[in-house]
Amino acid sequence: MSSNMIMLKSSDGASFEIEEAAARKSKIIANMIEVECVDEDKAIPLQNVTGNILALVIEYCNKHIVDDDDDVATEEASEEEEEAKKKKVDDWEAEFMNSMSLETMFELLLAANYLNIKSLIDLVCQTIANNIKDKTPEEVRKIFSIENDFTPEEEEEIRKENAWAFG
Amino acid sequence: MSSREKKRKKRSLKPSPSPESTSILSLPDDLVVSCLARVSRLDYRNLYLVSKSFRSILASPELYKTRTLLGRTENCLYVCLHFPDEANPRWFTLYRKPNHSTKKTKKKESSCNLLAPVPILNSPPLELSGFVPIDCNIYAISSGIEDSPCSNVWLLDCRTHTWLQAPRMRLAQSNELMYLAGSSEKSESLNFVEVYNTKTQTWKPALPEDPNFKFGNLEGKIYMKSDKDFLAIKPKYWIGEVVELDTDSGKESICVIENITYLYDEPSGMFVWKIFNTNGAVFRRLAGLEGLPKFARYSDVRLVNCGGKLLVLWDKYVRASGQKKKMIWCAEISLEKRNDEEIWGKVVWFDAVLTVPKSYKFVCAVAATV
Repeated sequence: MSSNMIMLKSSDGASFEIEEAAARKSKIIANMIEVECVDEDKAIPLQNVTGNILALVIEYCNKHIVDDDDDVATEEASEEEEEAKKKKVDDWEAEFMNSMSLETMFELLLAANYLNIKSLIDLVCQTIANNIKDKTPEEVRKIFSIENDFTPEEEEEIRKENAWAFG
Repeated sequence: MSSREKKRKKRSLKPSPSPESTSILSLPDDLVVSCLARVSRLDYRNLYLVSKSFRSILASPELYKTRTLLGRTENCLYVCLHFPDEANPRWFTLYRKPNHSTKKTKKKESSCNLLAPVPILNSPPLELSGFVPIDCNIYAISSGIEDSPCSNVWLLDCRTHTWLQAPRMRLAQSNELMYLAGSSEKSESLNFVEVYNTKTQTWKPALPEDPNFKFGNLEGKIYMKSDKDFLAIKPKYWIGEVVELDTDSGKESICVIENITYLYDEPSGMFVWKIFNTNGAVFRRLAGLEGLPKFARYSDVRLVNCGGKLLVLWDKYVRASGQKKKMIWCAEISLEKRNDEEIWGKVVWFDAVLTVPKSYKFVCAVAATV
């Protein structure tokens, strides 16, 4: 398998080398490669992604490109093996997401969206959703720094409506 | 890789300096929608209280579109109760109370599932019956107009909790099941069969030239047959099957899950399942059900198919209230078909979900997909 390397350049000027196969996780980059507007000597500038976030994106892509290759190679893998592998990926993803702050998560989501990496969008959105689960409105506001823009009257009204739930 | 950010900030202690940079609402709307679509609808009730912008995102059609696209729709139980001296019935939905394991809670709360009131602004002017859930809508027919050539079909859009009127249809009368009383004229004529397409919300006559028309594509459609014989068709549940009105139809303590009818047999206090084979109906006792309390003789027992799981609701007097109040209980039962002879029910949870005045009327319990 060819392991063409391509260069990516973050908005703050950091350059990253990445295997083409991994970079293709991004539909945007894959498209660029398809239409051959990737100059081998030049880095692809990614204006909306900073270096620290791009590093995370690349880490994710590298991890998942290996997994995709495995899938092809071991098509006959037993169910248990499949499951073990899936668990390994899940564990890795959990650890990966666990290591970052919410701000980083948002930035990573924006980057994944910009680069169009669907599985990463899914992963980040799901992680954010998990942070919302089973929380009270106050907790959600705190976690996500959301301003309570209800007037005291409105809030009182809503409280009353929901008295049964919080009483 | 070491470049990964390791400082795991304690989010709750974080001073929230610039909401611009950290707020989830700084993300583009479609990404916020994508996040919220993955949250269980049971949590939405809490999220409505977060902020106005949150509220409007939660009410947006895009959110429900995304839930469908992501396959994140859920089966939500809706319960309609009529309280004494109230003009309109009230609607409730099963809600999971946030789990407060922290010290903050004053009283110890073991119950996690509750019936929460659903604010519905408008109410159809007529008494409705025959509630049939199809996707995110609960269809109902105004009752009490037996043999009337015109009846009104209403639908409760469970995304917005608004009643809408479906186009008028000919002939409808219903109870728990949706069935039709026919007119006496041309009882054999298929001209009187109408198909209601819930997607386009239009009525169309079934093809008159096809007397053996298939009922196989019942899904998402209500077929109406004008005939002297009653036909009971429960969309979605009775796929490909037209049932004759048997003695159990119309009882509330019955539901159909994957072509198997489950019912609660009050005299014996047993749950029974029933299948139709070539020899007719076969009854079997639903095995298992360990931990499920015994119901009182007077209990109003309802069975609901909630996405393949069986939900059972029943009521019981609250002793401390001096028999003035009743408690509605709910149990979730997962079903396991071990073989053709045996189905086992496992009680996943049961909770006291709502206190009601003793003379309330149980109108219906159905599960919609939202």
